[in-house]
Amino acid sequence: MVVFRRTAPATVLLGAVLIASAACAGDRTPAGSAEAEKYPSKDIHLIVHAAAGGASDMTARALATELEKDLGRSIVVENRPGASGSTAMKFLASAEPDGYTLGYLPVEVSMLGHRGYEVKPGNYTMLGQVVNVPAVVVVPADSPNKSLDDLIKAAKSKPDEVSVANSGPGSIWEAATTLLGNQAGVGFKPVPFDGGAPAVAAAAGDKVDAAVAGVSEVAPSVKDGRVRALAVLDAERSKELPDVPTGKEEGHDITVGGWGGIGAPAGLPQPVAQRLRDAVSKAAQAPGFTQTLTNAGAVPTYRSAEEFASFAEQEYTRFADVLQPSGS
Amino acid sequence: MNAVLDGLGALTEPGVIGGLVLGTVLGMLVGTFPGISVTMAVALASGFTLTLEPVQGLAVLLPIYVAASFGDRVPAILINTPGTPASIASTFDGFPLARQGKAGLALTVSAVGSLVGGLAGIILFIVAANPLASVALQFGPAEMFALVVFGLTMMVTVAEGQLVKGLFAGLAGLLLGVVGLDPITGDPRLTFGVELLTSGLPFIAVIIGLFGIAEVFEQMLTHRKGESTVITQMGRWTPTREERRRIRKPIAIGSGVGVVVGVMPAAGGDIAGLVSWTQARRSSRRPEEFGKGSLEGLAAADTANNAQVGGALITSFALGLPGDSVSAVLLGSMIIWGLTPGPTLFRDHPDLITTVSGILLLATALAFLLSLLRLRGVVRLLDLPRHYLWSTILICCAVGTYSINNNPGDVLVMLIAGLVGLAMRRYGFPAGPLVLGLLLGPLAEANLRRTLVIGGPGEIFTNPIAAALLVLSVLALAWPLLRRRTRASRAAGRTPEGSLPSPNPPEGPPS
Repeated sequence: MVVFRRTAPATVLLGAVLIASAACAGDRTPAGSAEAEKYPSKDIHLIVHAAAGGASDMTARALATELEKDLGRSIVVENRPGASGSTAMKFLASAEPDGYTLGYLPVEVSMLGHRGYEVKPGNYTMLGQVVNVPAVVVVPADSPNKSLDDLIKAAKSKPDEVSVANSGPGSIWEAATTLLGNQAGVGFKPVPFDGGAPAVAAAAGDKVDAAVAGVSEVAPSVKDGRVRALAVLDAERSKELPDVPTGKEEGHDITVGGWGGIGAPAGLPQPVAQRLRDAVSKAAQAPGFTQTLTNAGAVPTYRSAEEFASFAEQEYTRFADVLQPSGS
Repeated sequence: MNAVLDGLGALTEPGVIGGLVLGTVLGMLVGTFPGISVTMAVALASGFTLTLEPVQGLAVLLPIYVAASFGDRVPAILINTPGTPASIASTFDGFPLARQGKAGLALTVSAVGSLVGGLAGIILFIVAANPLASVALQFGPAEMFALVVFGLTMMVTVAEGQLVKGLFAGLAGLLLGVVGLDPITGDPRLTFGVELLTSGLPFIAVIIGLFGIAEVFEQMLTHRKGESTVITQMGRWTPTREERRRIRKPIAIGSGVGVVVGVMPAAGGDIAGLVSWTQARRSSRRPEEFGKGSLEGLAAADTANNAQVGGALITSFALGLPGDSVSAVLLGSMIIWGLTPGPTLFRDHPDLITTVSGILLLATALAFLLSLLRLRGVVRLLDLPRHYLWSTILICCAVGTYSINNNPGDVLVMLIAGLVGLAMRRYGFPAGPLVLGLLLGPLAEANLRRTLVIGGPGEIFTNPIAAALLVLSVLALAWPLLRRRTRASRAAGRTPEGSLPSPNPPEGPPS
């Protein structure tokens, strides 16, 4: 019954498609010979794997503001969410290594490869780590488990029955839960939610035995007394929650965090890479950036390009044990 | 009293007033442009407001949110494309009204509904923010699952008249909702190796396609045959006394439903509008007009999606839990400003509740005035030759959809959804139930599976709130069937032979 009587509708359609594809093509930076002394001679794109408005986006934008001051060019933050972040990671890896396409590299860079995506730290020229959000273990306010050790003992006496909410399947806080369990030799029952905040809310509503999420996600509920924080899984106590002991203080020496840094496609020419490393180092330690992060409950953490590269590789190795490729 | 005065005093600063006007105008535009989501607008604006004082920043961000829910009704009514998902239900009656030459009336009624709904949400925000927030916290996975199941029973109502085809569409929606990563194990399902699909079907692209693009396609196909459906006149603007009387009840229903849905975490304006439309239909004396151009249906839908804003802000501010994705972004900004959302927020900053309420009230009033003013300009748009109008709509939809994720695949999904929508219209399948399935299916599944992981199947039935909601769902499903049966037996009583032709098309299932 559906008959196209004339060509006008098809033309209109074609027009719309052409315009849309032109818009996409416009995003590609044409390959050019990177002349380091002139770099940067045009705007730089910073790819973010998450939608606008989230913590990663906020970090990337705050850093972009500082980078602009140093590099003297606009940094265009480009959100390319989708496929657990792998869309943006692959886009970055396949971009021209000319210094005009950079990306925010989240902890997922060291995780997605184990879940069947073509993403691994080696695909990128690391330029420096800028942030870390340590994992925190929380329990409902009236939980009988008063310490991390109580929770571990409970899991020992009832294997795979202590429910621990996390931010989603294959997410960093699910991995953190498994890593903690492996370290202590117990099995938890992970309950994936759609993000860290709902996981914490489930603990606050006494729907689960515990939750693992980032310090920025748990801090408001901890301060209100709706959940109790048992431990911060970091080397040092959190400035945000100074009364909460570290995992090590509680006898479980484990650190897990949702870190993030800046990277470029592999093969970035040395002079450009050096210019960017210096810029990232300066921006990551600028008061404007660190203050924004601290206010949001994250921990400004700078690691140099080399340290960051080897840290991301270590993490990649560590996550191999706790993540399975999806679909297997 | 001091806190109230301080809070109001903050509103008189020129920077705050300027931000408020800017935010409101921006919000109206964002709402009107399909595909540009409110979440994205607030997120981008928050990049600029981070350096401002919290009150100034809120004076920009909150009005965007408020005004967008005034703007999004306009394309829903005029071109059958929801400006944001929150106005999906506004297309059900708004567009049929426009086609009947009552676009002006529809715009006025929906603006009034939006105003009343917005005010209802704000009033609740002022008087009951803290107590309501603690109720919301009781909604864990089991309760959420039962609530969503209750929502799914709306399929029957949304589809009534075409029950079998409606249920087919609903099931198709549920099936499409499965596409993406498994919510518990993270395994890809029905993605066929297509990376775009691992995040699930892009919802906004689908609704823009199903409603807006399908409508444009339909007009392209039919206009040569002289059965043009293009709106040529706006008609009168002011409702008659009788019409004003009739929309009172649906507006009351919309206000109630809107604030309740708003308070629930993770349920936004789209769900509020759909639930309210359904409830208004259930309680209407003229349910048969719903979906064909009922002022009551339009009023109910638009009231609810604005009332939802106040509800969502309650959960966000008083609990620190985002009531929808826009408030999630707002929360992010507030945390950076050093305002920790949660029960302590209003204790530590008692003036803030007055300031926020004031901003919301002013933005609502301003957006309402703008809605009435800009109506005149809309008419000229409709005088454009049709192919210009079509191309404009298609291009706007394509660009808007692309901008969500910067992904051309989304535009493709939108076009495919447009073709599917066209086919559905041609063969009499309603799009409402499909959207409902796609929207609620994943929520139902994720929460059910969480419940099962935590406590096993018993959890759902031993949980009082969940059990009560499930009983309500069964009643909601049985009610139309029971009513039909009583009506049928009454009719049979009057005509002993039972030979009168049924007034309804014989499409319903055997009851």
